[in-house]
Amino acid sequence: MIIEAKKSKGRIVVDWLTTTDHKKIGYLYLITAFMYFMIAGVMALLIRAQLAMPGLTIIETKEQYNQLFTMHGTIMLLMFATPLFAGFANVLMPLQIGAPDVAFPRLNAIAYWFYFFGSFIAVAGFFTPQGAAGFGWFAYAPLSSTTFSPGLGGDLWVFGLALSGFGTIMGGVNFITTIITMRAPGMTMFRMPIFTWNTLVTSILVIMCFPPLAAALFALGADRKFGAHIFDPANGGPMLWQHLFWFFGHPEVYILALPFFGIVSEIFPVFSRKPVFGYRTLVYATIAIAALSMTVWAHHMYVTGSVLLPFFAFTTMLIAVPTGVKIFNWIGTMWRGSVTFETPMLWSLGFLTTFIFGGLTGVILASPALDFHLSDSYFVVAHFHYVVFGTVVFAMFAGFYFWWPKMTGKMLNERLGKIHFWMLFVGFHVTFLIQHWLGVIGMPRRYATYLEGDGFTWMNQVSTAGAALLGLSMLPFLWNVWITHRNGVKVEMNDPWGYGRSLEWATGSPVPRHNFTSIPRIRSESPAFDLNHPEFASPEAKPVAPKKEKVKA
Amino acid sequence: MPRKPRFKWAALPVLAVLIASLTGCSSQEISRGFLPGVTGVTNHTERIVSLWTGSWIVLWAVGIIAWGLMFWAIIVYRRRKGDAEIPPQLRYNMPIETLFTIVPFVLVLGFFALTARDMGEIEKPVASDYRIEVIGKQWSWDFNYTNNNVFDSGIQYQEDGTEAELPTLYLPVNRTVEIDLISRDVIHSFWVIDFLYKKDVFPGRVNKMYMTPQVIGEYKGKCAELCGEFHSMMLFNVKVVSQADYDAHVSDLKEQGFTGQLTADPKDPNNFNRNNNLPGDNPEIKG
Repeated sequence: MIIEAKKSKGRIVVDWLTTTDHKKIGYLYLITAFMYFMIAGVMALLIRAQLAMPGLTIIETKEQYNQLFTMHGTIMLLMFATPLFAGFANVLMPLQIGAPDVAFPRLNAIAYWFYFFGSFIAVAGFFTPQGAAGFGWFAYAPLSSTTFSPGLGGDLWVFGLALSGFGTIMGGVNFITTIITMRAPGMTMFRMPIFTWNTLVTSILVIMCFPPLAAALFALGADRKFGAHIFDPANGGPMLWQHLFWFFGHPEVYILALPFFGIVSEIFPVFSRKPVFGYRTLVYATIAIAALSMTVWAHHMYVTGSVLLPFFAFTTMLIAVPTGVKIFNWIGTMWRGSVTFETPMLWSLGFLTTFIFGGLTGVILASPALDFHLSDSYFVVAHFHYVVFGTVVFAMFAGFYFWWPKMTGKMLNERLGKIHFWMLFVGFHVTFLIQHWLGVIGMPRRYATYLEGDGFTWMNQVSTAGAALLGLSMLPFLWNVWITHRNGVKVEMNDPWGYGRSLEWATGSPVPRHNFTSIPRIRSESPAFDLNHPEFASPEAKPVAPKKEKVKA
Repeated sequence: MPRKPRFKWAALPVLAVLIASLTGCSSQEISRGFLPGVTGVTNHTERIVSLWTGSWIVLWAVGIIAWGLMFWAIIVYRRRKGDAEIPPQLRYNMPIETLFTIVPFVLVLGFFALTARDMGEIEKPVASDYRIEVIGKQWSWDFNYTNNNVFDSGIQYQEDGTEAELPTLYLPVNRTVEIDLISRDVIHSFWVIDFLYKKDVFPGRVNKMYMTPQVIGEYKGKCAELCGEFHSMMLFNVKVVSQADYDAHVSDLKEQGFTGQLTADPKDPNNFNRNNNLPGDNPEIKG
């Protein structure tokens, strides 16, 4: 029997280590992922410091520089953003469909621990004599072979990522099963919140593209440890690796993006006091993006001279269409609404502003004729930071501020949240906007230094200054978390924002152990809103047909 | 009621000129969309420049519409005192949704058509006057002038060196060249920045690029694919010269004894190899 008494510290630790509660596992994911975000962020600051002037040696050797950007990319994508999705999905998805837990709680726990140990193994390369992997996060053969990268760090990278990848696959299976089989009565597929839809589609992408990565990593591991020659240039290995890697790597980008599109799709309606605009189009757009994302991998390989350019150019450009649909649906949600600017909304608007520009540069890069010049330059670096940072980080903070009361029972401080937002927003754009020009005038990515005569200096300095501000913006956030923990007032209501729509706002804050003591009637995609504002409920959710003629919407 | 000040469209070009002059951009830079180089560096660059600037004009229009709608929505529909607690619960609008699906689709078709035309031209193999083999190696470049049976072997950029010491590829102006890219070790990428073009250099296969340099001058080149520790030192120059200067350079190489051709085979004793990383170490290619 569980007694809500004060537990000893040892009890609390054992409780967290052995938990199978989806919320606690979700929190473990969020905490671990955020920790990796900070670690890789410090690496990014070192990288920016090194590039502040030509010829600096802040980072002693160029090999160490290579290790820093390799691990920065690896951590940000596979130890921060991907598990962050697992964290948000774990915490929220069962709540949003009215389930008491996920379908396979113990599989869920082991998935987390695979991620935990796999990531630790990959990063542990820093504690070996030759350092961590330094062949770039896409580990192109034959640079990633033992001939050119003999260190133990490379082996740890390969096998650590394989282990952590299995955790991701298990998480995907778990989420799909939960969504298919554990929805509450009345929660039809087309009444699921957009975040849950995106979790479902993302999980399907995970089980399509992570197994090829695992296979490719084991093959690379066999090459490195047992001399297997799978990626030997003598038999076309370098191209084989690139195909396998990007067949995973491109859908991976959407695995990062879609859940975070889901987060802002939850936030725009609440702070516009309106349902999401074009719910079904939004769902179909998500499915279209996911389907197309499986067909575009070779746009990372335009300059290899051995891919079918027209096919991959066309599918890549097509992705702009459903993505544009999403953008206009988010704007449509605010249209004729009643918009307020609490921190979650501010972060979501910051996401939208940033993401639109990332979308535009993405269209440019989709064209091989233009990509020949821009590929592997800082233009690409700027583009993917606009897309990935713009989506993952902005939406992560939007989600943190939005669901903090649901997760902890306390609201984060709004004023500090706004300071945090503006510092990060300005810092981000100062860091990365200028990098588009750097790429256009010829700075290749992954350069440990550059020449004075290159004319890259002042732009790099602007970028480095922006990065410093970006780094400092974490301080108000951490301070906010601390003072909220210490002095925050308990919210003690189901829906502190007042206009919450999905089911998690119809249960306590923080959420009780098995999520719901009662579940409201689910007759639309906004059950909590229907419950709290019955006079505005969607037609099918109204208990009695209204006598008066309805106001035309 | 006083007339509202109205936005004058004529202000737009004035604003553009103002921004340009304040930011110190020359009209040349703007008309090239900040792409490096001058008009007609190779026979392909103007095609790329016009696709680039044309695409950006359309994309900026799309972007301004999207940002404009967003800011318009948050300004016009911001919550004011005395507003109804909850606005009408508008859920969808089919005509608008159809519009913002079809219009981008049409734009994409147009963009694809232009892209397909241009990349077809850029990638098309053509009969060439000169064939040059470029061999990428950790962390420099070798050049085989196959028509003249001479070669040039580079060493990586030195910390205390100058750009003039970088390996330099000579190309005769207004002659069509085929450049064959091969690698001795890992993947590199051959990027001459002002040519607005790069192609990967693979071990185990030959990549080809075709172009006609049209403007005499010296151009910077860089390796663009991560190739190990000194990736950022794997620099080179390209000199586009007159036919006479090209011939002079070739006979200069001959005089120095650089006759014959280098290969991509790492075991070939004639090849400069980073494991005996001393310039001039090999008696065969002593300068």
